[in-house]
Amino acid sequence: MLILAQLFAGLGLLFVGLKLMGSHLQHAMGRRVRRLLRAATVSRAAGFLCGTVAGAITQSSNAVTLICANLVRGGVFSPRDAIPVVAGANVGTSALVFIASVNMKVAVLYLVALVGMGFHLRMHARPAWREWMGVALGLALLFLGLDFIKSAPAGLNLAETARVIGDVLTPTRGFFLGMVLAVITQSASTPTILAVAVVQTQVLGLGDAIFVVLGANLGSGLATLLSAGDLKGSARQLCISAILVKVSGCVMVGAAALAAILLGHNLDELLRYLGGGDPAFAISVVFFALQLSGGALVVIMIGVSEAISARFSPPTREDHLSRPRFIHDQAVKDPSTALDLVARETARLVTRLPRLLPDLDQRAADDPKARDAAWRGADAIAAATDRFLVDLIDQHLTRADLHITLRAQTQVELVRALQETLHEFGTVVDAFNPPPPLIFNLSESLRALLLVLTDAVPADASPADLDVLDALTADRSGLLDRIRRELAASCATGGDEVRNLMRATSLFERAIWLVRRLSLALRPGPNEDNPPSAESDRLLSPADM
Amino acid sequence: MQIETEENGADTVLKVSGRLDTLNAKPFEGKLLEAVKQSNGCIIVDLTGVDYVSSSGLRALLVAGKAMTPHKRKLRLKSLQPQIQEVFDISGFSALFEIA
Repeated sequence: MLILAQLFAGLGLLFVGLKLMGSHLQHAMGRRVRRLLRAATVSRAAGFLCGTVAGAITQSSNAVTLICANLVRGGVFSPRDAIPVVAGANVGTSALVFIASVNMKVAVLYLVALVGMGFHLRMHARPAWREWMGVALGLALLFLGLDFIKSAPAGLNLAETARVIGDVLTPTRGFFLGMVLAVITQSASTPTILAVAVVQTQVLGLGDAIFVVLGANLGSGLATLLSAGDLKGSARQLCISAILVKVSGCVMVGAAALAAILLGHNLDELLRYLGGGDPAFAISVVFFALQLSGGALVVIMIGVSEAISARFSPPTREDHLSRPRFIHDQAVKDPSTALDLVARETARLVTRLPRLLPDLDQRAADDPKARDAAWRGADAIAAATDRFLVDLIDQHLTRADLHITLRAQTQVELVRALQETLHEFGTVVDAFNPPPPLIFNLSESLRALLLVLTDAVPADASPADLDVLDALTADRSGLLDRIRRELAASCATGGDEVRNLMRATSLFERAIWLVRRLSLALRPGPNEDNPPSAESDRLLSPADM
Repeated sequence: MQIETEENGADTVLKVSGRLDTLNAKPFEGKLLEAVKQSNGCIIVDLTGVDYVSSSGLRALLVAGKAMTPHKRKLRLKSLQPQIQEVFDISGFSALFEIA
């Protein structure tokens, strides 16, 4: 009974330790990992190395794959850039397996003492220290858990237990056990670390443990696919690449093992030799070989990997819509070109704004799903442009360039807010079938304004276009208040419809305000290349037209 | 959509009836720009017979209004039905044109 309790306690500590370590590492290093990953586009080797470092830092190839998938979705990476990163991340996760195979009992006791004293001295009050103390505590708990697991069977007849387990755990069962554990824990390294601990107790033979590791390797690929959730298109392709890494690793290591057996070698002895006589270290070496061989094969044959991934998850319309056309990572190095590219990307986003609105004039051609995809795509490009500007600010900009960069950032923020508002407005409009006259008037008015905005955005547009926009976005709260009062008075006729109409007027008002702010933000600043014209300072009066 | 053109002294009056929607906006814009070129006075668009205006219709009017600005001439709108007046008020276009 005590043995079972000790085993479960060990497992509990192991899981808590892994969770603590993973979440604190991601908090402490998340931004750096993202920055590191963005440097991965230089070459396949750079991507593989960056992925290895990211995998070692996060200790989760799953997490790195999903970060990459979101970067692909956001247009920062192409799938071809991201595949080497995903392959490298798997190699990086081997670090913890290697550490777990080394006996660090004394070091862990000191680590627990150190973390405890740190908490007593309130060092965790500082955010940076708090994360690293969390990492240290996680690591300590992980090792304590392993120690519990290792010492649990001490009261058993080890030889007899090993014989029973050897009989029950056939290679196939071991493989499926590893697979199930990996899917449950969403990690290949957790079942492998468990295998390392159990092998050290001598109740599990090295030959049997290897099949658990192989199963865990394949299972973690499935776990990545399961956790991909609603990812589609090129983002999902990365999850398929992760499975390719796992399958390739299993095939290559499996083939090597088979070849060794066919050549008359004893697999158990061969593995012990690989581990320098230490079975736990041998498991770590096999785990590393699985990741390295699978990852290397996928990267070397990247064209084939890409084709297989694309076949199982073809690029979606959203992939196409969410890809920036002008900005790219390398452009950051030349700020003036970069700012020109940002201006073009922003102008492109503005010209896409009318697509986010329902077309009530041509309802047969209106497709809410296409609008939704257009909104997600536009949001991804705006997010990528925003990140690009943040990176640009990190460069040593001149005062003038910094000023333009900050203005560009404001423009992108406004475009993003406008995208969100138009999307919400569209959702409210979609609730009406058929749309009442007020909804038609609001929607078509907004579309007309956005069309004027798209005319005012190109670099060669006349400042008079912005003047017209200013006149069109003048305050109309009096009119909208009157409409709302009339709606409130008619509330008795239909609560939900009136609420939606009220919401539509609020979103319309917000959109108008944002267009006005954007119109002001689009005017050239006084210290830019285009000095403001005297004409641009006046509003167009009705008499001018 | 139907458009009748009349001369009223130096001014040109366009009597429009029907729907100013996406399908009709381009021909309407063409007629307006043609009138801007040929006339030396104001352009008056009589919307008595118009019962529907979409964003494309509003844009056509704006294009014509912008084409007249360099000549310091005016585009006037006339006899808007209440529902059409509301579209102009909500969109802010009533601030751009003289409406009688």
